[in-house]
Amino acid sequence: MNLYRSKADIESVPGTPILSLKNIKITFGDLTAVNDVSFDIHEREVVGLIGENGAGKSTLLKILAGVYKPNSGTIELAGKSVKFRNPLDSLEAGIGIVHQEQSLFTNLSIAENLEFVGEGKNKSSKIFRFFNWRKARLSAERALEQVGSKLDPRIRVGDLPFIDRQMVEIAKAMKVSTVKVQNPVIILDEPTSLLEVHETDALEREIAKIKEIGSVIFVSHRLDEVMRVCDRIVVLRDGQLVAVKKTSEVTARDLFQLMMGHEKKSEVRSYERRHQGETPKVELRGAGKKGKFSDINLRLVAGEITAIVGTNGSGREEVCKAIYGVDSFDSGSMLVDGKEVRHWSVRTAITQGFGFVPAERKVEGIIGGLSAANNISLIFSDDIKRGLFISPKKNLASAKEWFEEIDIRPRVPSKELEKFSGGNQQKVVLAKWLKSKELSVLILDHPLRGLDPGAAETVNSLIRQAAANETAVLLLGDTMEEVLDIADQIIVMKDGQATGEFDLHVDRPTTLDLLEKMV
Amino acid sequence: MDAQERNEQTRKRALFKSATEPLALVGVIVILSIVFSLSNSRFYGAVNIHTILEQSAIPLILGVGSTLVILIGSIDLSIAGVMGASAMSFVLLTPNTRSPHDHGIVAPIAGILTGAAFGFASGYIMSKFKVPSFVVTLGMWFAGQGFATILYGQTATPYMTNKNVSGWSPRLFAGIPNAFWAAIIVVILGFFILNFSKLGRASMAIGNNEAIAQTAGLKIDRVKISIFTLAGALTGIAGIIGAIQLGSGSPDVGKGSLFVCVPAVVIGGTSLAGGRGGVLRTILGVFLLTILNDGLIVSGVSSNYQSGVAGLILIVAIIFALWSRSDKSGVSK
Repeated sequence: MNLYRSKADIESVPGTPILSLKNIKITFGDLTAVNDVSFDIHEREVVGLIGENGAGKSTLLKILAGVYKPNSGTIELAGKSVKFRNPLDSLEAGIGIVHQEQSLFTNLSIAENLEFVGEGKNKSSKIFRFFNWRKARLSAERALEQVGSKLDPRIRVGDLPFIDRQMVEIAKAMKVSTVKVQNPVIILDEPTSLLEVHETDALEREIAKIKEIGSVIFVSHRLDEVMRVCDRIVVLRDGQLVAVKKTSEVTARDLFQLMMGHEKKSEVRSYERRHQGETPKVELRGAGKKGKFSDINLRLVAGEITAIVGTNGSGREEVCKAIYGVDSFDSGSMLVDGKEVRHWSVRTAITQGFGFVPAERKVEGIIGGLSAANNISLIFSDDIKRGLFISPKKNLASAKEWFEEIDIRPRVPSKELEKFSGGNQQKVVLAKWLKSKELSVLILDHPLRGLDPGAAETVNSLIRQAAANETAVLLLGDTMEEVLDIADQIIVMKDGQATGEFDLHVDRPTTLDLLEKMV
Repeated sequence: MDAQERNEQTRKRALFKSATEPLALVGVIVILSIVFSLSNSRFYGAVNIHTILEQSAIPLILGVGSTLVILIGSIDLSIAGVMGASAMSFVLLTPNTRSPHDHGIVAPIAGILTGAAFGFASGYIMSKFKVPSFVVTLGMWFAGQGFATILYGQTATPYMTNKNVSGWSPRLFAGIPNAFWAAIIVVILGFFILNFSKLGRASMAIGNNEAIAQTAGLKIDRVKISIFTLAGALTGIAGIIGAIQLGSGSPDVGKGSLFVCVPAVVIGGTSLAGGRGGVLRTILGVFLLTILNDGLIVSGVSSNYQSGVAGLILIVAIIFALWSRSDKSGVSK
């Protein structure tokens, strides 16, 4: 195991670090999640933390947040060794975390959310005090101002769009840390994974702001973004530190290689048309839904990947949901295999061979409490039946095959799906549909959301494979690069209207061409 | 659209939603009242209105406690038993057929403290031993019932002898029965605690997401224990009023109250999942149930049919009232 350590490639910076991790190690049972990791963070520095899903990033962050206690190793703040017994200790020490999962109370106002930050550190009887709404509002206004947000603190968090919630999260993390501490460290755990591309600009401005008063640990899967915002980058692989690099001295390609341990496969995509003049699997003719989208024409052909791009609120998600039968159209028509459909529902869609991978994986895509095996066989279970009943043995065996085939880790299909990492959960969701022999249309709503580059690569190759197996794929991508990389057809939507259409067998649009029609 | 405008719009939309949501329930209550008044003019008489107010006092007081408990995502099933325990403690300390001693103000205080003690015990066991409130309070129901039965003993029923005390509940003050005054005070208190105390806001936070509350450093156990103790004290008050209305001490004074109180909270619009709802909404729920119950009796529906009819009307009323806040995802539980 010392193999990696001896290879670890560390570029250090002179001066006393404000936060330093020394030989941190933590094990869960036989699993060593983080092994002998050391790195420093300096004043006013943005440090990127990257690694595949399961590389130990989240565990490391939880150690910094006082959730887990390391088995060995020390954390030093401004040269002094500290022990975090609970999240409060870490908050007080000036480490604020913006979690990957939202950590706001959706039923309360922004003011209350900010007021409850680090609450318990006040003396015991505080809970029996009056809640001073005025004071809470004013202090929230100040906290928001600090991060450059003009939100009204009286608004309920549940009524806010995602990007604004993220701002509140940051204000929250900042607020704790600036109470007492000179040099706060703000940890942003994949803050951009749920944001649309154009929204990340705002976040990058945020980070620049935070940098004026403290340091940042920035965790992200988007390597280009990491390169843009970070001063130095820490790379983890399999729980070990593989490199600490100055951003100015690496390329995204280097980082990918360090993370994965192998080079990125540069598939030269082909623009060859595989199919011609066939009846499309699905065809929309002037389809519309009042207030969401109107007059959409679209053809999903077997073996082709069609992507819709557009900003939030462009109506593209609604189009997908309507095709899958979750929502309905109220004008125009939809044809499946050349026949117009009348009573369309999710149930009929599935029997016709439609599959849907929703964007909100945790809420809509998986049943977290069920085992991975049961999630895979949730919809199509014919192959694992014995008589009238489902054979648990066949179920596990069939799941095992999928685990091998698409490299789902850890190889424990009987484990609850919620305990897998995001990338592996997404593979399970895909397996659920790919399992069907009659899969004819696959609708993917942000399939790469929150996945590390390695997992994204696997998922993309699964999508290509599905298309190669005569499935018509409809894709809503996270980034335009992703879409340009994989799609055969691109439709651009804006405010519920189709504003552009590109056939990649003929056209070679650039990101700019797409953006132009989007906004 | 600039930030100011967007802020305004978001707030207006939220305000409109919160204002219109209870309207459906108000509508149902008005319709029921009209129907009952048409079937018997007595329904609208002063006497019957006093009856309705007096009858709604206990469910209102219990409802406030239950609302708070449900908002933190727990449930208190113990109210029937705890009411019995409080009622017995109270009655035995007022002049009664067993003992003529008048302990004055000590009696109601003892009743309230008994309730608070049971509530504290539930809250403590639940948070320190990590047992679901459902199980703990189910046990506490029987513990309370047992405590009351021991106090009741083998001897004759203790009737209250001080007419001043036993006649307190329906007596009018400023045209409103005393019991209802008590309920009004409790509702105001509950509303105040929920909205203007740290305890109340922390309860909402915990009900919304306990894991987040934990990382925010909220003292979850302390909040939960406080809420259960408070709810217990309110149950104690309800037990005392129950005993006064009965005129005697009985371990069974709270019988059936759970099946009015929890539905009232839920009909009012407080989510059983916690974190959503409020004290004022529960008032509507209580009134709906009390009016339904009273109206059927006044309209002379045969007692054989009363439960059945009440059940049917209730279901229809709830479907109607909840229409406006049906879950967007179409999932019901």
